[in-house]
Amino acid sequence: MNQAPEPVSAGNGSYFDPQQAAALLDRTTLRARRQFEPWPPWLLVVRGLGALVVFGGIWLSVRGQHPYAYPTAWAIPGGVAFGTANTVATVAVAKRAMAGVSGRTKLRRADIAIVTVILIAVIVVMGVLAHNGVSDRIVYGLYPAAAPLIAGGLAWAGIMTARANRREFGTAVAVAVVGAVGLLAGPAGAWGVDAVGVCAVLLGNAAIGARRQRS
Amino acid sequence: MTDDTLDPLIHVPTRLKIVATLAALPDGDALSFTRLQDMIGLTPGNLIIHLRKLEEADYISSEKTGNGSASKTTVALTSHGRTALDAYTQALRDLLGGL
Repeated sequence: MNQAPEPVSAGNGSYFDPQQAAALLDRTTLRARRQFEPWPPWLLVVRGLGALVVFGGIWLSVRGQHPYAYPTAWAIPGGVAFGTANTVATVAVAKRAMAGVSGRTKLRRADIAIVTVILIAVIVVMGVLAHNGVSDRIVYGLYPAAAPLIAGGLAWAGIMTARANRREFGTAVAVAVVGAVGLLAGPAGAWGVDAVGVCAVLLGNAAIGARRQRS
Repeated sequence: MTDDTLDPLIHVPTRLKIVATLAALPDGDALSFTRLQDMIGLTPGNLIIHLRKLEEADYISSEKTGNGSASKTTVALTSHGRTALDAYTQALRDLLGGL
């Protein structure tokens, strides 16, 4: 600051210093943005590291397989536990942040239901593929590594378009792209691409969110 | 700088907090009266007084739905209010030498 400005009347007999006003404005804006944030940076970091551990763990279990068979036994319960915890935490935090908020951007139950149904459909199709004798490379490699990210990502991108949320739209598209790129890396490599790609996308989203809250 | 540069409707701590809180929502979204009250930390009576002043100036809009105990009031910043807050923020920056 160049020079301390004169106090300005607050209009109610007291004085509200411009410096105090600026500090109050900054503080209130930052606090409100944090409280309204449905996907806070800390949650995105946790989700990103969780994805790294789960997908990375699966990749470690399959990378030495020739020919490709399937991930180790813990991969399925581990993946389901991560997915469930991820969904529960995301919904709980978003619900708390959006309490009392109404309007186009508010996340609705139908949004979560749509993504859940799509992910269940992905699992059902996997069962159908296995039942019809499709190769292990696809049923236990390429398909489970890519399909949930592509289908879930695109579904979430569509929902975020309706909610006018550009940041989440970008994140959802990026997740779908990670799934698609994984297809090029083979059944084992796809899990590695998922681990690094999803983690990077979520950490990037967290960085953007943290920066936006302070801007 | 004189008093004229800072919008007297916004340049009151409580009303500044109300406007800044509503401005943190995406354009077009509204906030329930009870959540706003929780975030600002005011009694309902005090909050109503300040909201009325802001609404008279068309800085905010309010909507009441339902009847009796089931009624719910939501409050949103209008485009006019957002413009006023932007102008107020710029005036503060100018007043404080760009900081």
